[in-house]
Amino acid sequence: MIATIRSEWIKLRTVRSNVTTAIVAMVIPLAISLLSVTFMGENNIDSGTLPGFIVGSGSVAVLLIGVLGVLCVTQEYSQGTIRLTLAATPSRPRVYLAKGVVVAVLGAALTGLVILIGTVVGSAIIDARDVPELVSNPDAAPAFLAMILMGAVVALLGMAIGALTRNPPSAITTLVLWPLLVEGIVGGLLSLAFVDDVARWMPFQSGLNSMFLELPEDGFGRWGSLGYFAAWVLFVSLMAERSLKRRDA
Amino acid sequence: MIVVDELTKKYGSTTAVERLSFTVAPGRVTGFLGPNGSGKSTTMRCMIGLDRSSSGSARFDGRAYRDLARPLTEVGALLDAGNAHSGRSARNHLRWIATSNGFSARRVDEVLEMVGLQQVAKKRVGQFSLGMKQRLGIAAVMLGDPQVVILDEPANGLDPEGIRWIREVLRNLANQGRSVLVSSHLLAEMAMIADDLVVIGRGRLVDQCTVTEFIDRHATKWVTVRSPQLDRLTDLVRNAGHRVESSGDAADIHGVEAAAVGELAAANGIVLHELSTQTGSLEDAFLEATAMSVEYHGLSESAT
Repeated sequence: MIATIRSEWIKLRTVRSNVTTAIVAMVIPLAISLLSVTFMGENNIDSGTLPGFIVGSGSVAVLLIGVLGVLCVTQEYSQGTIRLTLAATPSRPRVYLAKGVVVAVLGAALTGLVILIGTVVGSAIIDARDVPELVSNPDAAPAFLAMILMGAVVALLGMAIGALTRNPPSAITTLVLWPLLVEGIVGGLLSLAFVDDVARWMPFQSGLNSMFLELPEDGFGRWGSLGYFAAWVLFVSLMAERSLKRRDA
Repeated sequence: MIVVDELTKKYGSTTAVERLSFTVAPGRVTGFLGPNGSGKSTTMRCMIGLDRSSSGSARFDGRAYRDLARPLTEVGALLDAGNAHSGRSARNHLRWIATSNGFSARRVDEVLEMVGLQQVAKKRVGQFSLGMKQRLGIAAVMLGDPQVVILDEPANGLDPEGIRWIREVLRNLANQGRSVLVSSHLLAEMAMIADDLVVIGRGRLVDQCTVTEFIDRHATKWVTVRSPQLDRLTDLVRNAGHRVESSGDAADIHGVEAAAVGELAAANGIVLHELSTQTGSLEDAFLEATAMSVEYHGLSESAT
């Protein structure tokens, strides 16, 4: 198992497009939050401002990490290496698990870095500006933890969608349209039809909500929302693993 | 030693491989021969578990591929030299494969040197020629020093030098006592490389035997005669019910032994300048053997 994980890690980091995606997944959210604290009016900055921007940009970070999860599977199919992977490691559950460990740890590490760099550099920017001393925000730590976990969970979701479609464009489209479009439409239709508080049942939206500093009142709470989303991702992952096991490579 | 037993692969209602059985012996190069679309690649994918066979099995020294703990130490398969990420360097390509089965980075450098790619180890595979990719594929096969080697159309698209290199590699592998299975639709190439043949057509076994046996069994034979009294001889042979094609002072007689023609000539006082048995090439033997089972018949054939 350790050998398979190490092999998957080498595979992931030795392709330039993966490295680029990982860097972009950190740079874009960091740019958003750091530029925001740089140019925000001084009177409006309070203890929740910087953590708020960081977790606010977290949805961009986790979506790009999801794309990375997609790529690490679909590039095996587009480049034909899946055949070598499965010839070297005939146990397909083991291959899926090893890949999952690598993308989940990487996803968590990338969101963790976004939080770390964002907090250190953002605080320095705020300190350099004419802002009164800020107290630390009590909601920041749990929101950051939720964002790190989301990095792992969305990476696994991307990987699962990639394994189901085996095709980069359709996998990435599915991953991006799911939160942006599908849940909006389904949620809208459902709430029109019969359910009032349908928003919290939308898995991806629920997961994204878990990263907020101030949680929406009609949700499942931070860990409930995250757990609900994670349960969906587990379900999709099991389908993907089953598909990998059953279909010809 | 590879034993394929009653292997069957169905895609929906199409049967790509049907109850195929054959063995591949150690120390010999076994040519896996069949027209395009006859099921060679499908068979190989089923053998190493990439495709699920519908029934039947392939065993390597008695064990199924999926039961091998570190499969690359026992079976090395090169199904398509294009199966490498074009953005990865040759060395990194081999490193992830090596790591998955616990081989060291030094082993990677060894096999790179073995196939003569050490100079371009850091180059991206996308910049490689087909011949270089083929060498990289062989390097991956050799990582685990396996006793069984399976290659799918390794000579495809190679220049003459590359083909000669592949041929020498296969010969060396067999001489070291390994079981080598190599597929091809290039018959002349097979005749030069292989000791044994497994011939399939439409997913079914046509024959398994040595190259010489195959020609004996399937190639057409005929008798060529030259004679100053050729017309008289051909009349006699035709009257005896044999088919004759004459051109100039020579004639080819089908469906008869040379001895019978000689005796017929002697009995009638005909002088012979040549009396010889001719054998068709491996190519002819192959076409003959698979004529009944070619997947895609031309229009003229399907009309009959």
